[in-house]
Amino acid sequence: MLDYFLIQSANGIVIGVIYALIATGLTIIFALLKIVNFAHGELYMMGGYFGYYVITLAGVPPLPAVVAAMAISFAFAVAIERGLLTPLYSPGMERKSDYGILITFGLAVFLRNIAIIIFGPFPLRPPSFFDGDLVLGGLIISYDRLVAAGGGLLILVLLIFFLNRTVWGQALNAVSQSRESASIVGINSERMYMFAFGLGGALAGGAGALVAPIYSLSPSMGLVPDTQAFVIVILGGLGSVSGSIIAGILLGLSENLFIAFLPDPNRGPSYANAFGLFIMMLVLLFRPTGIFGRHHAAME
Amino acid sequence: MTGEHTKRGSSGINGKRALPRRDVLALASAGAAATLPVFGRPARAAEPVKLGWVGPLSPPGGYAEGLLMKYASAMAADDINKQGGVLGRPIEILYQDTRGMAAEGTAAAERLCVQDKVAAIFGEFHSSVALAEMEVVHKYNVPFLACDVWSQEVTAKGYPQVFRNSITFPLLDVMIGDWIVAAGFKNAALLCEQDDIGLAWRKGVADVLTAHKTPFQLYTADPQATDFTAQVLRLKANNPPFDLFLVLYGEAGAYPMTRESHSLGFAPTANTALFVSGGEAVDPTFWKNVGKAGLWLICENVGLPKSAWNDKTKAFVAAFNAKYKTDPPGSAMEAYDAVWNLAEAIKNSGSTAPEAIIHGLETLHWVGTRGLYTYSTSKDPAWAYHQYMDAPESILQYNAQDQSSFDAPIVWPKKYATVPYLYKKPTA
Repeated sequence: MLDYFLIQSANGIVIGVIYALIATGLTIIFALLKIVNFAHGELYMMGGYFGYYVITLAGVPPLPAVVAAMAISFAFAVAIERGLLTPLYSPGMERKSDYGILITFGLAVFLRNIAIIIFGPFPLRPPSFFDGDLVLGGLIISYDRLVAAGGGLLILVLLIFFLNRTVWGQALNAVSQSRESASIVGINSERMYMFAFGLGGALAGGAGALVAPIYSLSPSMGLVPDTQAFVIVILGGLGSVSGSIIAGILLGLSENLFIAFLPDPNRGPSYANAFGLFIMMLVLLFRPTGIFGRHHAAME
Repeated sequence: MTGEHTKRGSSGINGKRALPRRDVLALASAGAAATLPVFGRPARAAEPVKLGWVGPLSPPGGYAEGLLMKYASAMAADDINKQGGVLGRPIEILYQDTRGMAAEGTAAAERLCVQDKVAAIFGEFHSSVALAEMEVVHKYNVPFLACDVWSQEVTAKGYPQVFRNSITFPLLDVMIGDWIVAAGFKNAALLCEQDDIGLAWRKGVADVLTAHKTPFQLYTADPQATDFTAQVLRLKANNPPFDLFLVLYGEAGAYPMTRESHSLGFAPTANTALFVSGGEAVDPTFWKNVGKAGLWLICENVGLPKSAWNDKTKAFVAAFNAKYKTDPPGSAMEAYDAVWNLAEAIKNSGSTAPEAIIHGLETLHWVGTRGLYTYSTSKDPAWAYHQYMDAPESILQYNAQDQSSFDAPIVWPKKYATVPYLYKKPTA
C-alpha cells in the first residue's frame, strides 16, 4: 500500500510540476498585460512540436532540444505579441480585456488548426530523454517522467531567481504593479510586455517539450492543460508566481491521489479534471483571492 | 463615398501610388484573355453530380481519421471521373468539417442539403454526430451513407435514407466477446472513454461476456485524459488479477496508455494481454508513438484482411501508399468504397433522385476494396436495416515491432485466421 501511495504521489508531483510551469507563464502574462491568454495551451503544444523537430531535423539530443524549444517558443510568442497584442497598449483603445479575449481565443483556434496542416493530424513522439524506468523497491517511475519533473523544477527555480534577483525580473514586477510608476523610473513598459509574453510562451513551450516523450504530441494536446492552468492561476491567486507553482504541484498531486484512492475505481479517471474545478470552487468560497492572491493583480 | 473612391483611385490606399492606366488596361486584357477558354468552349461541360462529405477535420473531433477518409474519398472521385464519371457527369465532392460535434454536423448537413443541393451525403466518424446529421437528411429526404460510425442506433432508427457500410457495435462486440471466450481469458478489465462511442462499445462487449459468464470489470476515463498511471497501477493491483486489458480510446489517450501500461509492467505481459480497440493501433504513427510497447498488442481491423484482398483492394492500397506514404486504415477503405457505392447506385438506377439512389443502394451488388457490398433491408434486428452485414472485421496480434497491420498475424475469426493460435503470450 505504501508503494502504491509513493508511486501515485511521485507521479502526481511530476504532473504538478508541468502544470506549474504552464500556469506560471499564464500568470506572468496576466500580471503584465492584464489579459487572459486563451492561446496558452496552444503555445504549450507548439513548444512540444518545436522540440520534436529540433530533434528530428537538426539531430539535437532531447535534453538540449528542450532549451531550443523554449528559445523558439520565446521568439514565436514575441512575434505574436508584436503582431497581435500591441493595440492593447494604445491609450485610445477601449475594452482592452474584450480585445485580449477575442484575439487570444481566435489565435488558439488558428494555431490548433494550422498545426494539423503543418505537423499532420497523427500524434508524434520524440525519442525518450532516457529509456527505461527507475525501480526503487516498489516504486516504479520512468526516467522520462523524472527528467520532466527535474527539468521543470530547474526551470521554475531559475525563473524565481530571475524574477527576484535580476534587474529585468524586477522591472517586470515594477510594470506589473504600476505601468506609470515604472515609466517614471525609466522602464520601457512596452518592452516589458513583449518580454513577459515571450517568457510566458517559453515556459509553456518548455512544458510541452518536456512532456512530449511522455504523452505524445497532437494538435489538440493543449486543450486540457489550458483549463488546468486557468484553475491553477485562480487557485494560486491572480498574479502570484509562487502561488501558481504551489497550486500547480498541489493540483497535480491531489488529482492523482483522487484517481488512485476514490472508492469507486470506475469513476476516478472520468472526473479527474472536474476534481480540479471542484477544488477551485471550494477555495474560492473561503478565499476569493486564491491561496496567495491579493486584491490587486500585480506579479509577485 | 464617391469622393473616397476617386481619392483612392488617384493616390492609392495608404497613400501608395495607384497603378498607371496603361497597366490597368494590360491587366484587364490579360484577365479577359484568361477567361476565353471557358467561354470559348463549344458546349457547356456536364453538370457534376454533387456528393457531400461530412466528418471531423479539426479538434475536438477525430481529425486524423477524418483526414484519411477525406483523402480516400477524393481518390475515389478521381478514379470514377477518370472512367467517365456517372451518367456521363463527373462526381464532385463537397467537404464539410463537423469537428466531431453534433451541432456542427447538423449545420453541415443543412448546408449540403439546402444550399449545395447534393444528391447524397456520406462519411462521418462520430456516431453522435451522424445521429444528428440523420435527422437533417431524413427531413430533406437526402440519402446518407454513413461510414465509420459504429453505434447501432444509426441504422436502428429505420430511416429509409440512412445506410451504413462500416461494422456496427453489435457485430464488433460479438466478434471481440467470442474471441475473449474462445481464447480462454478469465478476468477482463474494460476501460473506455466516457462518451457515446466508449459507452456503447463497453455495453456491447459486457453483454457478450455476461452471456458467456466471463468475469470482467468496467472502467471509464475522461476522453481528453492522457495520463493513466494511477488507473493502470490500480488495475495492476487488482485481486484477482486481470488477464486481459481491453481499451477503447482515441489516439491521444490510447498511445500514452499503451506505453504506461507496458512500462508499469501491466500489459502486454505474460500475465495480461492488451487489446486496443477503435482503430488507433492500425493508424500510421502507431509504432512511432508506442515503440516496443506495441509488441504483442491485439487490435481489430475493419478492413479486408490481406489474405482476402481482391484486385481493387490491392490497387487502392498501392495507390494510397504511393500518394500518402502510409497504409490506408479500414476507415479509409470505407470512405473510398462509399463514393463508389453511391456512384453505382446512381448508375444502376439511372437517376440522382433520392428514391432512385435509395433503391440503387438497396439492390446494390458490387465488389469493392472491402468485399462484396449488399445492404440488408431486414428490420430484424432493427440495426440490420440498411446495414452492410458482411462488413469485414478481424482481430490481429502484432508479433514484431514496426510490423504493418497488413502483415500481422490474424487470430480471429477462424475464416480469416493466418495462425493456428488465438492468442500468443508475450515472451520475455
